[in-house]
Amino acid sequence: MKTSMNRNKTIADLLSGFQNWRIWLMLAYQDIKLRYRRSKLGPFWLTLSMAVTVYSMGFLYAHLFKIDLQAYYPFLTTGMIAWTMISTIINDLAETFTESAGTIKQIKLPYTTYVHRVISRNFIIFFHNIVVYIPILILFHEVAKINMHTLMIIPNLLLLYLNGLSYGVVIALICARYPDMIQIVKSIVQVIFFMTPILWSPSILPAKYAFFILLNPFYCFVQLIRAPLMGQSIALSEWGILAFVTALGLTFASYLFLKYRARIVYWI
Amino acid sequence: MAHIRIKNASVEFPIYHANARSIKNQFIRISTGGKVMSDASQHLVVKALDNISVNIEHGDRVGLVGHNGAGKSTLLKLMADIYEPTRGTIDRDGKVSPLLNIMQGIETESTGYENIVMRGICLGLTRKQIKAKVDEIAEFTGLGSYLAMPTRTYSSGMQIRLAFGIATSIEPEILLIDEVFGAGDADFMQKARNKMVELLSQSSIVVFASHANDLIAEFCNKAILMDGGKVIAFGKVNEILELYQKQHPHN
Repeated sequence: MKTSMNRNKTIADLLSGFQNWRIWLMLAYQDIKLRYRRSKLGPFWLTLSMAVTVYSMGFLYAHLFKIDLQAYYPFLTTGMIAWTMISTIINDLAETFTESAGTIKQIKLPYTTYVHRVISRNFIIFFHNIVVYIPILILFHEVAKINMHTLMIIPNLLLLYLNGLSYGVVIALICARYPDMIQIVKSIVQVIFFMTPILWSPSILPAKYAFFILLNPFYCFVQLIRAPLMGQSIALSEWGILAFVTALGLTFASYLFLKYRARIVYWI
Repeated sequence: MAHIRIKNASVEFPIYHANARSIKNQFIRISTGGKVMSDASQHLVVKALDNISVNIEHGDRVGLVGHNGAGKSTLLKLMADIYEPTRGTIDRDGKVSPLLNIMQGIETESTGYENIVMRGICLGLTRKQIKAKVDEIAEFTGLGSYLAMPTRTYSSGMQIRLAFGIATSIEPEILLIDEVFGAGDADFMQKARNKMVELLSQSSIVVFASHANDLIAEFCNKAILMDGGKVIAFGKVNEILELYQKQHPHN
């Protein structure tokens, strides 16, 4: 009886997490607003700092790698926008329950509310950062195209959100139980940045090391954003990896959440 | 009908020893065959609530008494579904409104109005419903134009006025209160008291933890005496208070 009750509570947590969109969207928006409370530009500092980063990096790295600016700028900008979102989501997820410990111990809200808060916060930031890409689209319109593939950004973002939610539950749970994991997650994320074709194009990797990219699911997630923004399609093999990683995440998340949801409050 | 039925429920907090909680030691333990660090893996457990069984039904106004650390706040949090029992069961019917820490969720960088809206959303109200509440809260707190200022500019008394005004702007079914009285000037205390009485009469169940026995005697018809995480006695308010006073003559 106790197990079926626990299952019902877990499902209820998940469902009311979605229904609570008013709460987490407000919390997410509040997080961003408070960060820029007394500044004149407000959240547009996000856009501005992203612009300074990618515009100067693009110029430097195009010359370092001896690639045509025309080809490199759209590639780097889309890659950086995608990676910034993915990496900050993962880093923030590690602290999901610790950052909300005060609220968790005072009011009963579904635990998934806090996961939604972290992901939606970074989605809002993404929509600020995307503005940086508009000048690139205009200047380098021969490489960065708007076409049918651009529409894929919507389903792709939804897929990214779904994965954020499932892996979010996994990361947040483990980091709540083992605080050391927060630091481990952060350093892994940093390493992955260099391992993933964000600054460098997969084409410059020698053919015999191509498996290196194939084994890196983060590349597929970057592609999820980058490909539609550049008007390109995603390879079938990449869809395969994405499907596998998504299924794995959902399985893992349901197992852990079912087993440990009720323990979270005791850990933080 | 609203009710809270708790059966043989325990709440146990694992205290992770700094040693036991880090990943490093989990690895060490594996590599050393679980002998060297075996004592570190046996987490200490604090039994905050020990085998509690209580039935609270519609119309009950229950006072929680007991000295510090008796488990009053934990029991309220168990009732509020913040802690799920590690053993036993709890069955609850009715919408629970906890008033555990009135300062909870007051964002100091946000204005008074923004705080009202934020809390309203957290309670599941729509923008329209919140708008209807804002004037009522503004009048109750008497903060006037200060509501448009960030709450960090408030004096502590003003912050309590706002927090109290927001926290009590609910229509509770099951109301759980943990020591909310005690601050603000005399004028506001009278207002706060009236507000509490109003709130108590609206709710179908009230559980009220306090060290102020006169308040419990005034507001409650039943009481629970707790000690060491256990329910010592549950019954009519005057009998329980008498028992409590016999045990602790200084109160």
